[in-house]
Amino acid sequence: MPIKNIRKSIKIVIIAAAGLLAVFGGFIVYWEAATPQNTCTSCHEIDGPASMWAESGHRSMHCKECHETAFSGGLHSLVEKGMMVVHHFAGSGERIIMLNEVQLAALLTNCKRCHGVEYARWLSGGHSAPYSAIFLNEKHNTAVQPNSDCLRCHGMFYEGTITDLVSPISIKGPWKILDPEQAAMPVIPCFACHEIHRKGSVAARADYSDPKKIYYSTPARSSAALFYDRYDKAHIETGSLPVLKLWEGERPVDVSEDPIQRICVQCHAPNAFHQAGTSDDRTPRGIHEGLSCQSCHEGHSNDPRQSCMNCHPAVSNCGLDVMKMNTTFADKNSPHNIHSMRCLDCHTKGVPKKRA
Amino acid sequence: MNDGIKLSRKDFLKIAALGAGALSLTTGGLSLFEGCTASRRPGTMFFSEDEIKLTEAIAEQIVPADDWPGGRDAGVANFLDTQLIGSYRRFQQDYQKGLAGLEKSCADKYHRKFEDLAWETQTAILQDMETGRLDGDVWKNGFSEYFFELLRAHCLQGYYGSPRHGGNKNYISYKMIGLDEPQIVGENRSGI
Repeated sequence: MPIKNIRKSIKIVIIAAAGLLAVFGGFIVYWEAATPQNTCTSCHEIDGPASMWAESGHRSMHCKECHETAFSGGLHSLVEKGMMVVHHFAGSGERIIMLNEVQLAALLTNCKRCHGVEYARWLSGGHSAPYSAIFLNEKHNTAVQPNSDCLRCHGMFYEGTITDLVSPISIKGPWKILDPEQAAMPVIPCFACHEIHRKGSVAARADYSDPKKIYYSTPARSSAALFYDRYDKAHIETGSLPVLKLWEGERPVDVSEDPIQRICVQCHAPNAFHQAGTSDDRTPRGIHEGLSCQSCHEGHSNDPRQSCMNCHPAVSNCGLDVMKMNTTFADKNSPHNIHSMRCLDCHTKGVPKKRA
Repeated sequence: MNDGIKLSRKDFLKIAALGAGALSLTTGGLSLFEGCTASRRPGTMFFSEDEIKLTEAIAEQIVPADDWPGGRDAGVANFLDTQLIGSYRRFQQDYQKGLAGLEKSCADKYHRKFEDLAWETQTAILQDMETGRLDGDVWKNGFSEYFFELLRAHCLQGYYGSPRHGGNKNYISYKMIGLDEPQIVGENRSGI
């Protein structure tokens, strides 16, 4: 082939390549920069979740920061998104993109990027316990055989059944977590009480030029926490959760109206008769009756240790140093169990009159 | 030197064709997405916008609001929309036929849509449907009574069933009948 023709061919190829690069480059730039309403939701039939996301506090994050793409999100993501195509043409099936437990666990990295303090507190508290700590607990398992209802509060995102998780299903051990990788995963991740798509505001400084926009002039926001129901595979707003009706014998116990408490009692619940102090009920009674769990427990670590100082001894009339009392519920012999102690537990001969 | 810069008409056409091909691939891809968007009904999976409004009006008739929200606010239409592409796919044709028939009956007799009619008129139409007295070919051979029963049963399922199926928004019917859901029952018998 003459050199002239070779040069011409090279030029054609270069020009064509540049054209292609410009066109596809433009397409990729558009794809990366455009909002999910113009990209993801153009194909994925996810109007509902996408609309929720658009009003959420996480609306500045792109879908793929949590959901990844069909090819980068592992087998689960590929199968799920592939099935969306099948369902589309078959005109069937739900088309909601649900992250599986492994994806949710990986997502905690995203959470702590902005919510580092909350993450650290959660990590230090009981709610970050891994599967191994819960399902291999000898004291529990010898008293109560591991069962499916455990997963309602410990492993709400676990995709299998109890028989897939732990073996043997018996009060006789030793027990083992069948999938070694599962053992270290948290049983109650952030998403047990938080929903990423929930309505909210992005971080912004208060606008002091408009008095109506100053925080104390705006309507109070409802709680940022929700309860994830394993059976419904959905988050339930605190306003839709039932308020605990609790009895001490036949006496109705005054239970706090705090919406967050409705989440707590879903797992820290009394027996089916709703008798105070039964099963895992920790609802305050006695001198602390009516207080919310959050009056004492920090929201993410659940640490209550500094809470006594919030009210005692400044408001205490008796002059006792409550900080030195054994107030823990873990000690069954403690006369000062913070959840149920009464004035007469200390003042056995009668409550003294208020000091002058 | 200048020979290399000059392009024959044939070469120019080649490049132009290549460029046009690339452009059409890209724009074709984009228009495909937009085509999908245009044909879809935002927020719904089976019903059209008109069908949703009609179904909401029917649901409100079947379960009217009183001190508590009725079928419309409880999301019964969303329940039907969800189920008709799921477990109730077998009823898709019945709904398409029945809803279209109802709109036609209303248009023929009242020149208005069902949802725009007065409450009492809507009630009377559904009573006619229940008793097989609606005019029109679509309602013959017992389809009228059948479709009413289907609507009634599905509306009640949407109102009283679990929210996981798309209806009973905010557990409204559970609250109405005093049912705590999710149930508050502890399982800790180990004393930990």
